Amino acid sequence: MNSFWTVVGFTLKNKFRGKAFLITTLIIALIITIGINLPYIFSQFNSGDKVTSIGYVQSAQSEGSATGDQLKAYFEAQEKPGVKLVSYEDKGSEAENEKQLKQAITDKDIKGYLAFGEMTDSGFPEMTYKSEKMLAFELTSSIQNGLQVIRQGTVLKDAGLSSEQLALLNAPIEIASVQISATEGAGNLGEGKTPEEQAVNMGLVYFIVILLFMAIMITGQMIASEITAEKSSRVMELLITSVSPLKQMFGKIVGMFLVGLIQITVYVLVIIINIKLPHNNEMLVKFNIDLSQIDPMLLMYSVLFYLTGYFLFATLFAAVGSIVSRTEDLGQAVLPITMLSLAGFYIAIFSISSPDSMLVKISSFIPFFSPFVMLLRLGLTDPPMWQVLGSIGLLLVTIYASVWVSAKIYRTGVLMYGKRPTFKELRKAMKAYKI
Amino acid sequence: MHPLRVEKVVKQYGDKTAVNGISFEVSEGEIYGLLGANGAGKTTTMRMVLGLIYPDEGNILYNGKAYSKEQLRNLGYLPEERGLYPKVRISDQLIYLGQLRGMSKKDADQSLKKWLDRFDVPEYYNKRVEELSKGNQQKIGFIASVIHSPKIVILDEAFSGLDPVNVELLKSTVKELRDSGSSILFSTHRMEHVEELCRNITILHRSNVVLKGNLKDIKKQFPKERVILSTDKEVSGLESLKGVTQVTRHENGYEVGIASEAAGMDILHHALKQTNISRFEIKEPTLNEIFIKTVGGDSHE
Repeated sequence: MNSFWTVVGFTLKNKFRGKAFLITTLIIALIITIGINLPYIFSQFNSGDKVTSIGYVQSAQSEGSATGDQLKAYFEAQEKPGVKLVSYEDKGSEAENEKQLKQAITDKDIKGYLAFGEMTDSGFPEMTYKSEKMLAFELTSSIQNGLQVIRQGTVLKDAGLSSEQLALLNAPIEIASVQISATEGAGNLGEGKTPEEQAVNMGLVYFIVILLFMAIMITGQMIASEITAEKSSRVMELLITSVSPLKQMFGKIVGMFLVGLIQITVYVLVIIINIKLPHNNEMLVKFNIDLSQIDPMLLMYSVLFYLTGYFLFATLFAAVGSIVSRTEDLGQAVLPITMLSLAGFYIAIFSISSPDSMLVKISSFIPFFSPFVMLLRLGLTDPPMWQVLGSIGLLLVTIYASVWVSAKIYRTGVLMYGKRPTFKELRKAMKAYKI
Repeated sequence: MHPLRVEKVVKQYGDKTAVNGISFEVSEGEIYGLLGANGAGKTTTMRMVLGLIYPDEGNILYNGKAYSKEQLRNLGYLPEERGLYPKVRISDQLIYLGQLRGMSKKDADQSLKKWLDRFDVPEYYNKRVEELSKGNQQKIGFIASVIHSPKIVILDEAFSGLDPVNVELLKSTVKELRDSGSSILFSTHRMEHVEELCRNITILHRSNVVLKGNLKDIKKQFPKERVILSTDKEVSGLESLKGVTQVTRHENGYEVGIASEAAGMDILHHALKQTNISRFEIKEPTLNEIFIKTVGGDSHE
């Protein structure tokens, strides 16, 4: 047992001594920080543009200017107006007016202006929005909305409705959706998930699946390449004469696991610190995201699937690393494993909007996919307890088998040099070495 | 009781027999030579001794006991192709290797420093292997195999690729190890090193033991077939003497091939009649010659 921890310690120490590792961790932490703060940074740049000023000419003769006044009053009455109308005096002639408004655009007083034309059947005059910007869809639609409300007001005033009735007409209609489970679920046992909880969970599942995938792939690759490097530098021959191959393999796997864990902890801490920053906290409140609604059970399952997924893939990576003699050949050799984990990852990511599809249900039982896919189901639906346990059970059995096979391959692989052995050669060698 | 005893060990890889019934024993304070052409089964034999692979038949006994994890700590191994982490500091990796063989960190550190001083390179302590020349990497590799003061040391091609100064340095270190009581299993292609270091040898050829025993006894088995003759003046008519197989003229004399030792006397008398002799020697066969003779020209298959 002692030499096992020596291997773990050495693996850890080497990783943390290496500059590459520290730099990568720092860079990723930096990217995370920027990513989280990006919405805030954008909002800082955009804040001036929030309210678009639109000009119009106010004149006694034109019928259109009355509509302009109405719109101005409407947007001023709004709580958070996206549009602000600015009135300009009538200069007499159309050309003069146009000139005056264009000057205002150049001076950046307004973004564009409304020109009114003939009266139409809709009760409003013809309107043209003129601006330097090409697409002002959002703007025109909010003006349209405004006009709609104004017209409604005008029509209903004539109908003689009371203000209560008016309020009733305008009251928004809401449908609350709560996700429940008909049978006993594994998530939070039939409690159901509110929309807020679902939103938080969806984000969280997305995040955890990506993190899980990255952690497995990065640490897995590191395990494989370290083992191959030990083989190609022939230090392996010294190692296997000093410590049993099994201890060595698991020492490496556990050591790398700790490396990965520390890395993830750093990232999660960076994320938490960034989210706790006051301006980001405000943003979360604005979008009605309450992180305290994160289901602790989901986190627990995430840890469980991280552990199982990691050990499943790590043992495979170790086995592959042990049969390759040269680092150049490694990329090709680990490709099948990479594909396997990619498949699980993509099933989970692309099914995030349909977490109850048949594909998801079936693949949540397939050991190489289940760490990703079962997590998705747990986060977004309430799968029955027996399914969750079954999936975990299958996963554990597969891990056991993969450890057994990998250990055999490892014991054989580390002694085989030259070209990458075929499966047949490997089996022959296993027999020869009596493994 | 021998620290290392190999009894009738057979190892097969599939249909191919890698080692076919090798037996030998190494005593305390002995360097045992394991010779053979490439692919003769030396490395397989060494790997079996190291417990990396198990023999199909036969036994390997360490101080009379079978292989066990504890035996690992008594073994030191210098592989043919030196294995060290290129990018890890020497102190880190050697202490690590020492620890893996059951040393405490402190002991390993002390032992490493002692060895670095022995090789006169204490400044390597904090260097990385990739910064060192090949010869110096070899020294570090050697330290890695003996840092835990093993009772049995296995040196596979210990001196290959070294300059003469470093060969002497390593050779004297190996002799020190021997004198301190270690049993050393030694493999090399350089026969002069074997002649200098080994008491007993085994020559493997195509998985079989072709020659085995005490080096002096082996040499006696082979006839003396060469006469070295240095004379003041030229000697004529050597070719026509009975028993002379071949005459080669060198700068300062002759090398004469003879069919039997008796022909040597005739050569001496013949030469004395013509001139003064400054050197006359009936040479023992060198191990190199014995090796080539036993293994034959077909060693490189």
